Amino acid sequence: MTLSYIIESIISGILLGGIYAILSVGFGLTWGTMKVLNISHSVFAVLGAFVSYWLFVKLKVDPILSLPLIVIILFSSGAIIYKLVIRPVQRAKDVIMASMVATFGVAIVVENVMSYFWRPDPRILKPAYASSSIFLGEISISQGPLIGFIMAICAISLLYWFLNHTYIGKGVQATWQNPIGAALVGINQERVSLITFGLSIASAGAAGVAMALIYAFYPSVQSIWTLFVFLVTIVGGVGSVIGTGLAGLLIGSIIGICAAFLPFVWVNVLLFALLLVILLFKPEGLFGN
Amino acid sequence: MKKGLVLIFIAFVAVLVYSLPLFCQTTKTASGEPIKIGGSLPLTGLASEQAKWVKAGYEYWAEDVNKRGGLLGRPVRLIIYDDESNADKAVTYYERAITVDKVDLVFGGYPGTSNVAIMPLVEKYKKVFIGQGGHGKSFEQGFTYSFGSPPLMGEWSGLSIAGIFDDLIPKKDWPKTAAMLTMNNVIGLAAVPGILKVFESRGVKVVVNETYNLPLSDANPLVSKAKGRGAEFFIVQGFFDDTVMIMRAAKAQRYNPKVIWNILASRIPAWGKELGSDGDYVLANNFFPPGLPYPGNDRIKEGAKIKFGLSEPPDFFAIGYCWMYTLEVGVRGAGSLDDTKIRDYLRSRPLDLPYGKGIKFDSRGLPPPFNYTVQTKDGKNEIVWPKDVATGKFVYPRPAWSSK
Amino acid sequence: MRDKTNGRYMKYGLFLIVMFMLFVFPVLKPPLFFLSLLFTAYMYVALAESWNLMGGYTGYISLGHIAFFSTGAYTTAVFMNRFGVSPFATALLGGFFAAVLAALVGYPVLRLKGAYFTISSLLLAVVMQLIFMNWDFVGSSVGLWYKLLPVSIEINRMIFYEVMLFLATAITLIVRWVEKSKFGAGLIAIREDEDVAKTMGINSPWLKMKAFILGAFFAGVIGGVYGYYIAYVHPEVTFNINTSLLILLMSFFGGCRTWVGPLFGAIVLSLVNQLIVTFIGAEISRILYGMLLVVVIIFMPDGVIHYIRGLFVHRKIRHGDSIL
Repeated sequence: MTLSYIIESIISGILLGGIYAILSVGFGLTWGTMKVLNISHSVFAVLGAFVSYWLFVKLKVDPILSLPLIVIILFSSGAIIYKLVIRPVQRAKDVIMASMVATFGVAIVVENVMSYFWRPDPRILKPAYASSSIFLGEISISQGPLIGFIMAICAISLLYWFLNHTYIGKGVQATWQNPIGAALVGINQERVSLITFGLSIASAGAAGVAMALIYAFYPSVQSIWTLFVFLVTIVGGVGSVIGTGLAGLLIGSIIGICAAFLPFVWVNVLLFALLLVILLFKPEGLFGN
Repeated sequence: MKKGLVLIFIAFVAVLVYSLPLFCQTTKTASGEPIKIGGSLPLTGLASEQAKWVKAGYEYWAEDVNKRGGLLGRPVRLIIYDDESNADKAVTYYERAITVDKVDLVFGGYPGTSNVAIMPLVEKYKKVFIGQGGHGKSFEQGFTYSFGSPPLMGEWSGLSIAGIFDDLIPKKDWPKTAAMLTMNNVIGLAAVPGILKVFESRGVKVVVNETYNLPLSDANPLVSKAKGRGAEFFIVQGFFDDTVMIMRAAKAQRYNPKVIWNILASRIPAWGKELGSDGDYVLANNFFPPGLPYPGNDRIKEGAKIKFGLSEPPDFFAIGYCWMYTLEVGVRGAGSLDDTKIRDYLRSRPLDLPYGKGIKFDSRGLPPPFNYTVQTKDGKNEIVWPKDVATGKFVYPRPAWSSK
Repeated sequence: MRDKTNGRYMKYGLFLIVMFMLFVFPVLKPPLFFLSLLFTAYMYVALAESWNLMGGYTGYISLGHIAFFSTGAYTTAVFMNRFGVSPFATALLGGFFAAVLAALVGYPVLRLKGAYFTISSLLLAVVMQLIFMNWDFVGSSVGLWYKLLPVSIEINRMIFYEVMLFLATAITLIVRWVEKSKFGAGLIAIREDEDVAKTMGINSPWLKMKAFILGAFFAGVIGGVYGYYIAYVHPEVTFNINTSLLILLMSFFGGCRTWVGPLFGAIVLSLVNQLIVTFIGAEISRILYGMLLVVVIIFMPDGVIHYIRGLFVHRKIRHGDSIL
């Protein structure tokens, strides 16, 4: 086993991990702050991927350029879902459970609407750069994951900046840390919830584009992506943006290292077992506070 | 009050249970009325893409048969339920078709994991079940009513690879090394021993032999390994998603093996449509490539043109038609809708079917081992082996990745 | 006083009559599909009730219930396949193995709270599925077959119907009994506030463990019978994450704070799914199903049973009756 191969797999894993992180960050945010466990999170990632795909195929808009539009569209969808579904559900005694059932319903509806209009055929987003590599000596780095990774890092940083350095963002944080206090100061809790949920869905949309640069996608793939989301969120600690980012990188490195040294068939077993162990000994997540 | 409520509810359920049969009125089938053929397909969920083509194939066959004057002088009507890609729902819906709708015949299900659970059921109900069946092992369970026509047998993949070596490539140009990536799934794994034997007997060194679990998270290390060890014959035994990932990684890394061979992915219409020229020159084994010179194929081709405006019928459309065609041959031959008679007819003599002539099913319900090899060119699949039915010329070695 | 006793007798009488009606249903020779449909509905009743011991009463939401269910299925499959023992004889053993598994993983997993417990239970199922995928003794990715019962399909379906009816009834009654017992009160106290419960002298780790093991045992027994019904076990069929989700949905749909909720949810959702499947267009029926979940939860965020009870309680107040 050559050294370049080992480095290559670890880099590849890390790039992938960054993309998983952006896929998961919004999920952890609504869960940690609003107590809304949004099972439909990755169905919106798939929706983002589809929008990007259609813009690319029909109008030749590069996925990177269409990203702002996707964020806007998905934010609006998130706001609508919040108004229609999430807000009523927040009245429940057990918001986590009620939101799980309701968003499970949303996931079924959105998945099948997509499948009805766009058929269940698999799609591939392939701008030219997605199928070439940067070669550093012996080591090759695929550009698709690389660009997805950069998108992910930008999106996570933006989200972090928004939550910690803007007036609205601080309001969001204040509300989740101390709802009554925030209300007293005059922060509109409903508006804050709407923004949080919208941002979460928008980040899912951006993640969908990044995922589509590597994976084939179709409406029902959302159930597979949801599993990744759960994993990353739990390692990072629910509700922590930076934690989720780091968790994604960690999981990516584990995949990379396993791929480099082990028969491939054991990669998933080891990954999930490792996560289980992490969870048992550090239940608040590795990077949670 | 609480208890009262509960009991009212339970009583309601009991009444509902007893009235269930009333919801579904069944009529006794008289001659002249349509022949009902029923079952379930995964029309939503993970397996829905192929299943929709299978459904289209079934529906086209029904239309076609009715145009030709029906089956035994009666028109046919399909009853297709959606099992949401869930095996135990599939079982329930087959039972619904058999016992509530009182279908005369059942059609073949999809995919293999559901079929494995349906095969014991149809055996109990004595219903002829013609489809791809489950995997190879499912045909070893002593079932007599299930037929793979054609089946999906990983065990026979070696034939395709042996054919490529022996008939298509001059011995001096044979690839010397091979890499094999296989999904941890019975369809993929079943093929491994046979393929290894073919390689061994032809002096090919297998430098990578990896199994991966689904869903595949990262294809880059796998491809990098194959590239690093200079494998010239590259085998990918996966489903569509993972094969596509591997192809994209191979292109990104500019890994140019002489042959890329896969089992399923390049046969799906999305392959040519979505991958475009990147999907070209890939080889696949196939049990029923469209374009064979056997009965039924011209109608399949016509159907694809009329129904979807496609010059080449999608694989699962063709295969759906082919399963139904086999059933049609059985019904006509037996001259009856009696499943046992149909079964005995199908088993007792050589038959001319869309994927081959003079096919004789063995006691397991399988045709003799066979395989075809197709190569993708301009997004379309051409048969390159066996040579006597070839529709295109074999391109070897595959051209390097275009830079675009 | 006399009225109350009479009322109770009437209720028991009605219960027995209803059970008898369900019991003799197969004798009417309905199309066999209905036996299978009800088998599945009863199975989900039993699963949802057994899940509710943990998920409903203590609020520890497990997505790993299929791990125990599959343990049962694989136990009976292996015993039949390797040693030729009938699954009906080994289903209890399947429950036992599931309980042992629950005891082993319970200790570390039950220390986790809320979402972390949920995810670790999901991971348990995922890891087990992957291990079973790669483990030749249990059939790896090929799966294991059961030998079919040497009886006609009519008798076969009737046997499975009665067995599952019995299991569902027994499990529901046991869960009901637990709910009304001191044990159940302790579990509910844990859901309300685990720390307070501890200070009140409730041994919460031990109670949770008992509920977890009991639920797993039931799931194991059900799994053992289910495997035989479908006649085939495979990691992709038995370890289906969607089954776990469905159990949870059913319990919650009905309302998971009482034993009636899962019973109601499981039956209604099973039957509704059957009724809408005949709609034109597979996607359309799925969309309707999804919308039903959303709408029900929006209007009845604590489950249907809770909502219905609310209606009755309000009416009673209006009539000036005691709420109790």
